[in-house]
Amino acid sequence: MSKKKFPEEEFGNPYLWDGSGEPDPEVQRLETVLSQLRHKGRAPVFPRALHLGEEEPSSSFLRLLWPRRVAAVAVITVVAVATSVLISRPGPPVAPLPGWEVARIEGTPMVGAHSIEGAKARLAVGQLLVTNANSRATIAVAEIGEIQVDPDTRVRLVQTMRDRKRISLEEGTIHAAIWAPPGEFVVDTPSAVAVDLGCAYTLHVAPDGSGLLRTTLGWVGFHSNGHDSFIPAGAVCPTHRTSGPGTPYFEDSTESFRNALAQLDFGTLSSDSRSATLATVLSEARKDDTLSLWHLLSRTEGAERERVFRRFAALIPPPVGVTREGILRLDQQQLDLWWNALELGDISIWRFWEQSPDRPIPANPQFLQKKEAMLKQAR
Amino acid sequence: MELLLERDGRFVATPIKLQLSLAESAAVNPVSSHESPDEELVRSAQSGDRAAFGFLYERYARMVHGVLLARVPPSAVEDLVQDVFLRAMPRLTSLRDARLFGGWLAAIARNRAMDFFRQSKAGIEPLAVSTDREIEGKGGNRLDKAAAHTILAAIRTLPEAYREPLILRLVEGMTGPEIAERTGLTHGSVRVNLHRGVRQLRQILAGGEARARSAVKP
Repeated sequence: MSKKKFPEEEFGNPYLWDGSGEPDPEVQRLETVLSQLRHKGRAPVFPRALHLGEEEPSSSFLRLLWPRRVAAVAVITVVAVATSVLISRPGPPVAPLPGWEVARIEGTPMVGAHSIEGAKARLAVGQLLVTNANSRATIAVAEIGEIQVDPDTRVRLVQTMRDRKRISLEEGTIHAAIWAPPGEFVVDTPSAVAVDLGCAYTLHVAPDGSGLLRTTLGWVGFHSNGHDSFIPAGAVCPTHRTSGPGTPYFEDSTESFRNALAQLDFGTLSSDSRSATLATVLSEARKDDTLSLWHLLSRTEGAERERVFRRFAALIPPPVGVTREGILRLDQQQLDLWWNALELGDISIWRFWEQSPDRPIPANPQFLQKKEAMLKQAR
Repeated sequence: MELLLERDGRFVATPIKLQLSLAESAAVNPVSSHESPDEELVRSAQSGDRAAFGFLYERYARMVHGVLLARVPPSAVEDLVQDVFLRAMPRLTSLRDARLFGGWLAAIARNRAMDFFRQSKAGIEPLAVSTDREIEGKGGNRLDKAAAHTILAAIRTLPEAYREPLILRLVEGMTGPEIAERTGLTHGSVRVNLHRGVRQLRQILAGGEARARSAVKP
């Protein structure tokens, strides 16, 4: 977790943060009044029948009594024996495909060709979960989270492995709450890939393949078409079928700021009107909107990038190690440093994710050096 | 402090110095110095140590209470806090990484809040205004209570990302670092949301006072 200091003018209320420093009278008043609603409950009386870990007794048994290597050897042995038995028997193997549990909330969602008649069903890798206008469902994402599937949605389970879970949202809306390590849960959409960096978000895909991601807690990475967008809590990011993720923005930004940003991202503008639209974005930008300005740095060129840099620097001064020249040539290390100064999430998490085998590592010597250093540090 | 202890086949809240037994246990089974006390508690609870689960309740109940209070009517929150822990208890062994306990528990609490509205068919939005019964409940000065519920209603109009940290800070009395530690969010995220949330809350409350002043003008 980051422990860097915040710009004083923006977050200069240490009393609100940790109760230190000069007490803020207004915050104190709120604390006093609201403390009446504070948790006063007693510890619950747990029924005897409810055991710790009763849902997975075998897993618990292994966890409790066996060293991991012994357990691994035992599992391998059992799998080998089972495989040899299956091979020696005529007929197809009966082992089920890996999958997740789906629970019906209302209506009759479909898994593959079958409707969920009972309360629960299994969504196997490759299968499609479809809800109509009157049905909703939840998916238990292995042991790392839960997805609520809204009406008129099509979701396919693509992959469920120890360190990577992947679904494809073809159309509709899901609400994901994930408590896995960052980068473990990924959602493909027709226009971008959403990578969970922890914790909760809503993702919508329209019939034309465009979409919208709204983060409620933590932050999410949105990737496609050479664009990376990072969406922290309170922000949204649109995505377009052909151009990929747009520029994320906080929902409390001004309407003219949001409209101008949409024009820059997805509009067809002449040189003059683009310049005027960028002027609107820059003049309307508040400190919080440096989230959007940071993304615009790599989505503008030449004089436009210089204008974005100047406005950004006026709102959040570049930290030590970040120079105008470095930013104008899109030095990734400097861009990362400035991003981290916004305190919206540590971008090194994203850089680690980028190094996964699923994606090619850019042949950039500086990047490779940094990757080596990070891997060395991780080891 | 009251903690959970097994008695006559049930687990009851018992005033006892269990920290001593936990310290003794730790001395017998030393853990890695890299492991936080909470991770140790989670691992102990996963291995069936119910006293450790009781400690986890003590340490995380305020967080769960705050997460629920951001979403459901105040009168329902205390029961739901217990329900969240009852749901978490049998699932605890499915948690692979003990460091993620806070975020995992918070997610269970958020899901429980969603279930509450599904079951009650009260819609998906939390109640913005508390009822008289809720204001009367639990004793205390009625005017102060009404003020608390009015401010709570104002907090609930804020974006979801701001509600939780504000309630954990202002209602539950947790510090920013505690909120980050208990919910599994980053310091930066909590800090930003706290400051933005307070700023918006001030605007809402100032607007309300201005409207009240204009309403009493002749």
